[in-house]
Amino acid sequence: MQKLFSIALVLFCLAASSFGQVKVAPLPIKQRTLANGLRVVSVQDNSSPTVSIHLWYNVGGKNDPPGRSGFAHLFEHLMFKSTKNMPSEKMDRLTEDVGGFNNASTWPDFTNYFEVVPSNHLETLLWAESERMVNLNVDEANFLSERKVVQEEYRTRVLDPPYGRLYWYLDDITFQKHPYRRGVIGDLDQLEAATRADAEKFYKEYYRPDNAVMIVVGDFEQSQFDSWVDKYFGSIKKPADAIARVTEVEPEWATERRFEKFGPIVPFPATAIVYRAPKTTSPDIPALKLAASILAGGESSRLYMALVRNQQIAQEATLDLTLSTEGGRMAFIGIGAEKGTSQNLEASLLAELKKIQDIGVTAKELEKAKNQLISDTIRERETNDGKAVAIEAAVAYLNDPLAVNKDVAALEAVTAADIQRVMKQYFKDNNRVVIYYSQEKKAEGVK
Amino acid sequence: MKMKIQSSLYLVFLGALAFSVLGQIPEPGPAKSVNVPPVIETKLKNGLTVAVVEKHSSPVVTVQLVIRAGAGIEETKKAGLANFTADMLTKGTTSRTAEQIAEGMEFLGASIDTGAGWNSSSVSMTVTSDKLDQAMAIMSDVVLNPSFTQKELDLMKSQSLDELKSNLTQPSFLGSYVASAYSFDEHPAGGTPQSLEAMNRKDLLDFYKDAYDPARAVLIFTGDILPAKARTIANTFFGAWKPKPAERKEIIASMDKAPTTAAENVPVTSPLFKRIFVLDVPQSGQASVTYAKSINEGRVRFGSTPRPAVSINKSYYPALALNSVLGGGYSSRLNLEIRIKRGLSYGAGSNFSWRSDSSNFTTRTQTKNISAAEVAELVLAEIKKLTETPISNSELVPRKSVITGNFGRNLETSAGLAAAIADLYTFEIGTAELNKYVANVGVVTDDQIREFAKANLKGGDVIIVGDYSVFKDDLAKRFPNVKIDVVKVDELNIESPTLRRSDVP
Repeated sequence: MQKLFSIALVLFCLAASSFGQVKVAPLPIKQRTLANGLRVVSVQDNSSPTVSIHLWYNVGGKNDPPGRSGFAHLFEHLMFKSTKNMPSEKMDRLTEDVGGFNNASTWPDFTNYFEVVPSNHLETLLWAESERMVNLNVDEANFLSERKVVQEEYRTRVLDPPYGRLYWYLDDITFQKHPYRRGVIGDLDQLEAATRADAEKFYKEYYRPDNAVMIVVGDFEQSQFDSWVDKYFGSIKKPADAIARVTEVEPEWATERRFEKFGPIVPFPATAIVYRAPKTTSPDIPALKLAASILAGGESSRLYMALVRNQQIAQEATLDLTLSTEGGRMAFIGIGAEKGTSQNLEASLLAELKKIQDIGVTAKELEKAKNQLISDTIRERETNDGKAVAIEAAVAYLNDPLAVNKDVAALEAVTAADIQRVMKQYFKDNNRVVIYYSQEKKAEGVK
Repeated sequence: MKMKIQSSLYLVFLGALAFSVLGQIPEPGPAKSVNVPPVIETKLKNGLTVAVVEKHSSPVVTVQLVIRAGAGIEETKKAGLANFTADMLTKGTTSRTAEQIAEGMEFLGASIDTGAGWNSSSVSMTVTSDKLDQAMAIMSDVVLNPSFTQKELDLMKSQSLDELKSNLTQPSFLGSYVASAYSFDEHPAGGTPQSLEAMNRKDLLDFYKDAYDPARAVLIFTGDILPAKARTIANTFFGAWKPKPAERKEIIASMDKAPTTAAENVPVTSPLFKRIFVLDVPQSGQASVTYAKSINEGRVRFGSTPRPAVSINKSYYPALALNSVLGGGYSSRLNLEIRIKRGLSYGAGSNFSWRSDSSNFTTRTQTKNISAAEVAELVLAEIKKLTETPISNSELVPRKSVITGNFGRNLETSAGLAAAIADLYTFEIGTAELNKYVANVGVVTDDQIREFAKANLKGGDVIIVGDYSVFKDDLAKRFPNVKIDVVKVDELNIESPTLRRSDVP
């Protein structure tokens, strides 16, 4: 079975030559929608004998049932268990065992299932993805065992790392009404309360062709691919009932809110200052991404220079953008160094914010940030899977796979004035949540 | 199929949407194969080897400089020196400040990564091909002209100490930190609180002077670049790198571990494990459970002295296959038993960390504190099974595919390709090995794996890091006649023979 040896030998499919300015080559995207509502996006690229398959479902942490925080993610784990025609872990047999891999991830807005396999296995995986779209079994023993795995995942992500609880709080205490406040990982008690019946209901509600987009990039022949899609997905019926959507609307954050939180083992204090982000369809997103890069992209960035190098109060200083379709959050985070206190971290983070609001950014800084983000884009698209991930983001956040080919132009169009404007518009004294996080003898809040 | 499918009484068919057409799984089509493109190698006058692999599917180039000198040649008291030296390269040169270096690279949309492992030190960057010349000017400056100023050294010391202090609260980090001294008779390559505190400028200058020799280095180019252009660039930017005078070469050569002859495969009658060590971290969020065994088989074998020829150790590929069966990838035995069957962890795996003439074998997992002893038992049972029970072909063949699949995927990016080549140069293994890799994995037999396991895996240490008060009773119950060595995390001193602060001589 030593067949997967995937290095592009082909020298003629140059994205650009070694001379002159490189360009991000547009992805030649084909799209179609089946009668049952399944959207299929594909890019044929025969430069390496592999193929990446992504099944994107429009259901995420925000769709956790009431009292079942963490459920969408728990359900993601169940999708690797048995179906009518596949025993548990068959997806691993079809991927890992032939030299490929698979995984899945749950986000606030969506859940994705993906695999990369030698391209001669594409048809098999299309069959398998159609199978788990409609024929999943949830058996009690698998359910209980996987619930324990997810609880261990919670411990590994939240309880074990010294600042794991801080990141958990970024969702939990900032959003007031919108289900984004539950984060994705949930909490131990609500996971413990989840039942197999919940899983059955959730599957019926959200796992259906008209709530999914399939993205396939790699080594195939287009007409053959299309016929396999028809064969394995065409006969799935579109359910008549409407899909439940989140209706809660997060109220405007109108006053500053402040919290002090503690963990049992916290080596140095930390501070987070959280603001509400615009929806991902906002035309201001590219400017915010560039601003985040100017503030926190590398060792020449403003926050690193100020807090880590010059003042030496932080080990890490960042602006984390968690952008979501219904408006996510943007968090300045400072993890203290020996000289760091929650107070001096807050003051320095806010001083850098004020500087960019009052004075703006230089032309050179802006050009650097553009170079960084465009270079990241090119590197991400080195592999078939990287290309599929980029298309998936365009589907998830802009509801348009073709938007992937407009990313770079949107970044290039941003001006220094745009950056100053968005930093003033979205980062206000009265719409933030300030969290101080430090060591206390007794842990509180999260178990 | 190992997985036990539960009684059908519990199965609930959720396919309310009728789906009748397709009960049959389609067979895969014929497999395609592709070879790794050749590595084109030249040598500059100063002894620097230049290796190039063209791959033009994306307009990026990775450049990686590898120097065959790492943490393995530093003294225990100077733990972290190789890594510190590598990281300090980008913190100032005779003509550029640290800020200018970071600013210059980031303006090109790139960054320089530096670091040292046990066997080598490395400086690498990935940049779009149009900006390669500008990036090379900075990369060569940091390698050839570092200034190691006291001010930057002080800053890096305080940053490293803060980072280490955070890491020393985490069971996963602590498990391998303890194992390095307790089970492998080495030191942590990232340093200890004492060694970082004591690091001084002279140490760095000496290490740099001795180890950073073009004759011990290879400059690797992968991606969107023509071999002729790579040679020209290498000459322009690294041609001025001076080879070390002969006496300096002797110093570094004497620091290299003396080559050993092949380890004897004496039949091992040792017990399944040697010791149990507990590092007690009260209120820890989880416990990490590590099994650690030092192995007398290295990545390569040496011929006869004085400057021995190197060949790949015949045990290397059986060890890779063994690891894939036991703890490499999702469906390996450890993950199957600990996560998939019992829900005791988010993941479990194993790893060989290779040196020239030895290797460090570890299994790693994290679980809730109360399950720590149960998980330790499960890990030991899997070690035992490997030494006793044949592996069926239906298990072994897929596990080999995992290895070759990962290998192939890693070569898809320019950075992954450079890393694979760097690994071979680190051990002075010819790059032809890249094209033999898949075949060499393919011919590994079940017998070879079991022989390797029998000779090498038993007699290691179980290291548990977590809240001892929670698992103490269960551990005593499951391992009734074993003396358990417990050290409190506040008392830990990795440089002490007993690992206890109070026992420092």
